[in-house]
Amino acid sequence: MNAFQLQQKARELRATCIQLAHDGREGHLNGALSSVDLVSALYAGWLRISPDDPTEEGRDRFVFSKGHACTSLYAVLADRGFISKELLKQYARDKTPLPSHPCIHALPILECSSGSLGHGLGVATGRSYGLRLKKSSARVVVLLGDGECNEGSTWEAAMFATANKLDNLLAIVDYNRIQSVGRTDQLNGFASYEDKFRAFGWAVQPIDGHDYTQILEALDAFPLARGKPTAIIAKTTAGRGVSFMEDQVLWHYRVPSDDDLARALVELEAQPIHVALPQEVGT
Amino acid sequence: MRKAFSDTLVKVAEENPRLAFITGDLGFQLFDEFHARFGARYINAGVAEAQLINAAAGLAAEGFHSVAYSIASFVTARPFEQIRYCVAYPNLPVTIVGAGRGLTYANAGVSHHALDDVALMTAIPNMTVVIPGEPGEIEQLFPQVTALPGPAYFTVGRFGEPRYEAEAPAVLGMARLLRKGDGIAIVTMGEMAGEVLNACKILAADKITPVVYQMHTVKPLDTATLNALARQVKTILVVEEHLPMGGLWSAMTNWSASLTKPVQLIRLGPPDEFALGNLTRDGFRRRMGFDATAIAATCRRLSQ
Repeated sequence: MNAFQLQQKARELRATCIQLAHDGREGHLNGALSSVDLVSALYAGWLRISPDDPTEEGRDRFVFSKGHACTSLYAVLADRGFISKELLKQYARDKTPLPSHPCIHALPILECSSGSLGHGLGVATGRSYGLRLKKSSARVVVLLGDGECNEGSTWEAAMFATANKLDNLLAIVDYNRIQSVGRTDQLNGFASYEDKFRAFGWAVQPIDGHDYTQILEALDAFPLARGKPTAIIAKTTAGRGVSFMEDQVLWHYRVPSDDDLARALVELEAQPIHVALPQEVGT
Repeated sequence: MRKAFSDTLVKVAEENPRLAFITGDLGFQLFDEFHARFGARYINAGVAEAQLINAAAGLAAEGFHSVAYSIASFVTARPFEQIRYCVAYPNLPVTIVGAGRGLTYANAGVSHHALDDVALMTAIPNMTVVIPGEPGEIEQLFPQVTALPGPAYFTVGRFGEPRYEAEAPAVLGMARLLRKGDGIAIVTMGEMAGEVLNACKILAADKITPVVYQMHTVKPLDTATLNALARQVKTILVVEEHLPMGGLWSAMTNWSASLTKPVQLIRLGPPDEFALGNLTRDGFRRRMGFDATAIAATCRRLSQ
């Protein structure tokens, strides 16, 4: 898919995230709507991974570290054929494979469970190191929240990645500038993520995380430097795509009402990818 | 025990090309041979225990058996969530090695005391917890632990602990019979076995011969052996260098609570407090009443 096609698809994916949050009564839409373009771009051909054999040894590893925002991941996995669209109706339901924080036991095609923040980058460095020991050309990509970067373990991992020259590792920071109950920049003293990763020895590329041309170009430029891990700092907007959700702390947790859902779908001029499906028979 | 550990590690790595060793910047010169022979399979994560464990988890997810090494107090408490969430929950084959548990580093202060490590590690599902008592048990048990499909906590003492004789080899998951006897039984954990055997020497003059088991595998607990022991003796003395909550005593009282015919359990070990005073290890054991003299005195009293 090219940038234009992805832009069109993004409306449906956002509608899907909002429908999931509404039906499953689980929020976290800020981070889902800010990250969905990044996830969609990764699964538009750049990640070397096939829905026909998603755990194949040579695949690229994608670690979705900001687990609470997983409706964006589930929507993209369904859209690209890794899980069925029908399965989305089970989001956050009893005994679901799609809980509100991803679980590898429930959905074994995942690389890991996520829900507790600050672990994804560290585990990814171990995977990058292990892949190099195995002489594999597979790459490891981690999607981090900016709030998640409050965790000290993220920076322990950043140090390790540089020390071990993990140039098969890509960290993408979803810099949506809002976290659970506060604003990221205030909580980190307005210090820049680009500067931080550079100071830790990474090659860094800032982009607009909603501009598919910029996202795809940044991905294609990977690795930015030989012998260095790469960080893409993707400036995004929390709640992106729905006027009454954008850039408000409220929508970190809030579950959309029937009215919120209806208004959002009108604004997006799109339908979720799973609701127009015929109802299952006999269930 | 350190030397036995580094030698055994090399042997295991020779046989398993998918074994990787990662240290939290500890073990000066101890792993030089491993590093020289296995190159990139030796990793120093720096003084960063969260990263130590998460990198070990990532390596394990890629098909390696990771051995993550640091001081027992640092490698259990600080990265507890990494161990629980990134290692144990996905059930990855990571062996977490804690050096110098209990009061090994007695006069280094409370920062270095690991009197709660067994409590922390046994609290986590999927974990196997193994506390060897002498170099021979390191040599026997470490290859068994690193053959497990899931995570384990394994401890290593310091240098120069004496080897001891036993009535049986050390088999993972089974209480190891150190001394046959009658009347009373002593069940102990890790390096306290040496102290208990010293007590037995004192008691030999009084013709008191306790049955002695070293419960190196605290989790899963060998309840079959304990059930048989409970039929053999009326009293079991539990000797541990661990806080009263969550150690061998806790495991034993959990077990005994379900017995239809109860057995008397008596504990010798540190009280529920931080070990202040900067004593030596022997000094703490004496002050807290679980050295060989105290163990022997308790056995004498129970034998009257």
